[in-house]
Amino acid sequence: MSVALQSLLAQQGAMGVVANNIANANTPGYSREIPILEESPPTLMGNTMVGTGVTMKSVESVRDNILNLRIQQETSQQSSLNSYVASMNQMEALFNETQGTGLQTVLSNFFNSFQSLATDPTSSSLRQATITAGQDLAGAFKQTSQNLATIQQGLDQSVVQAVQQVNQLTAQVADLNQQIQTVSNAGQNPGSLEDQRDQVLQNLSGLIDTAVIYSNDGTVSVTTTHGTLLVVGNQSDALTTQLDSATGMHEVLAQGTDITSAIAGGQLQGLINARDDGIPSAQSSLDNLAAGLIKAVNQQQNDGWDMNGEKGADFFTPFTPSASGSNAGAAATMTVALTAPDQIAASSDGTQGDNGNAEAMADLQNKPIVSGQTAGSYYSNLVDQVGNRVSNATAEQEAVGLVLQQLSNQQSAISGVSLDEEAANLVLYQRAYEAAARVISVIDELTSTTISMFTPS
Amino acid sequence: MGIRVNPDVYSLVLSGLQANTQREDQALQQISSGQKLNSLSDNPSAAATLVTLRMDSSSDTQYLQNITSLTAGLQVADSALSSVVEALTTAQSLGVEGATGTVNAQNQKAIAQQVQGIQQEILGLANTSYNGEYLFSGTATTTRPYVADPSSPSGVTYNGNDNTNSVEISEGQAMPINLPGSQLFSNATTNVFKSLQDLYTALNTNGDIGSATTEVGNALNYVSAQQTFYGNSLDRLNNTQTFLNQEQLQLSETESNTLDVDMATAVTNLSQTVVTQQALLAAGGKISQLNLFDYLPTS
Repeated sequence: MSVALQSLLAQQGAMGVVANNIANANTPGYSREIPILEESPPTLMGNTMVGTGVTMKSVESVRDNILNLRIQQETSQQSSLNSYVASMNQMEALFNETQGTGLQTVLSNFFNSFQSLATDPTSSSLRQATITAGQDLAGAFKQTSQNLATIQQGLDQSVVQAVQQVNQLTAQVADLNQQIQTVSNAGQNPGSLEDQRDQVLQNLSGLIDTAVIYSNDGTVSVTTTHGTLLVVGNQSDALTTQLDSATGMHEVLAQGTDITSAIAGGQLQGLINARDDGIPSAQSSLDNLAAGLIKAVNQQQNDGWDMNGEKGADFFTPFTPSASGSNAGAAATMTVALTAPDQIAASSDGTQGDNGNAEAMADLQNKPIVSGQTAGSYYSNLVDQVGNRVSNATAEQEAVGLVLQQLSNQQSAISGVSLDEEAANLVLYQRAYEAAARVISVIDELTSTTISMFTPS
Repeated sequence: MGIRVNPDVYSLVLSGLQANTQREDQALQQISSGQKLNSLSDNPSAAATLVTLRMDSSSDTQYLQNITSLTAGLQVADSALSSVVEALTTAQSLGVEGATGTVNAQNQKAIAQQVQGIQQEILGLANTSYNGEYLFSGTATTTRPYVADPSSPSGVTYNGNDNTNSVEISEGQAMPINLPGSQLFSNATTNVFKSLQDLYTALNTNGDIGSATTEVGNALNYVSAQQTFYGNSLDRLNNTQTFLNQEQLQLSETESNTLDVDMATAVTNLSQTVVTQQALLAAGGKISQLNLFDYLPTS
């Protein structure tokens, strides 16, 4: 009788597991569970070993931790690329020559205005047009530079926010570690808690590169791939941010050490890459171009004579680098210094009607004035570089997406709930339950037959 | 038991649909903009080429504008010189007439008056201006080049300079756009103004009218020769204009090849994505609508 009763309980428990699987069929991160049924220890009856039935020993979650780690790594890569591409797309739009929204037009117009002035160097309307073209050029450089700075500031804020999110998630992991340990110590299945932790770890790997080590006590230790400690047992180490006054951007610190450039994955890496590399490289190219133009145009202007018979004054406000070898700020501060059209030095000998210097100004378009290149080809390279950064990252993003899709598919194949399977199991356990119940009723019949034998009729 | 497959088949359909929608978006964007490049990353090197092409094309547009405005000035100068040549021809025939033995002193003086009129006319022509700028004063275009000066043997003084302006009319091709009066109207042996002054004096004083007339004839030949500069320049502008128009055509064709979408390809791409989407949706609708539970007895 007790054998049948145990069986009833075990099959009931197994059906409970099936029911839980079915209930969580669509729960994100849920790993299917299987009941582990075990023979009860047999007893000796006389000279014979007799079985004592079945017990449900435990419930196990079906999961592949190695696969989960791979998924976390790829998620980390994907988030990194996603945030990088999204940031760089904003920057790309500033130089979008395919839609005519770039610097090519103002650059061409500026040189053309001198070309035009050369045909009639004393014309005040052409002189005015040249000043205007110069102002448009300076304005476009300034605007582009400011837009780059705005995007960079936005990214910096996102970095700070992402670090806060990392801290929240690592605290959650530490908390779950503690709960899992408690449940495990009590001999229970911490499956659902582990599922939750896996989910948190995956979110964490979306923010920063993680290396997860599973300990025997059921807890996990989390570090970055460069070994910065994030979680050990029930302790999490919060990252901090600190404003670097030199760059105006926030550094990411782990216990006082700057780990900004060591972050190798996740949204944070993407943001930092765009903030500290993608945007600054375009900004510095823009500055070089601006500085080259300012210098060359001013020099040529100084070589000539204006309408008042005086040596040409600086066309643009001269750029003074704050540090030698750096043109930082050249684009952002670009302005036309001339105030009157007469000040344009179109003449190369002081004669009002001479156009030699206006020709020379126009000819700067074909002179190597920026790092040994013409302004046009330097800008064209800038466009090429910006485009390449984005297109390379986009290609990588697609590749990682495919890998991640395969891995998720694999994970789902291992841990996902199949309703067919659950239905089959349910029938299996149901039939076993019915059989066990039948055993009880047979025993009941036998017992009542036996009892009735002793009952006076 | 065989290999366990991913029970969540919808996730596969879904990612297929997402990828397809992305391609559809791209095809739609290409068709609606008419461009195969819509951002730099679509094709970075093509976008960079576009910058160079447009700078070249923009320069050409400017050169063409230069040519239009230069042509007008050169035509004015050319026609002024034609008038000078015409006037000198008249002066030459007056000299020939005055040298004839049948003309008396009185008539010679009358002819001299006519010569003086021609002197005035040529002085005016030598001071021709266009757009408020003197055409024959070298680069000193704001200075009136010739003023009458009785103390000078030629009767005039030249106040311009001996310089010329050059303007670029196509890449690397600079063309001089003027000749200074000092070169147009005189050289070491010939001087338009002096020849007329000499003819005038000879007629007035019954001097050597014959040799003065020869002098005018030389001056006439000299100015005619100088005038060819303007004719040649106008020809050159005309040829360059044709060349630039052709180059612009080529540039815009290259630009169009770089930028513009081939509609047939784009539309084919779009219809392919539509077919794929329908197939995916149909597949998604068919799969896994049933599971084992549907076949188990309910009671």
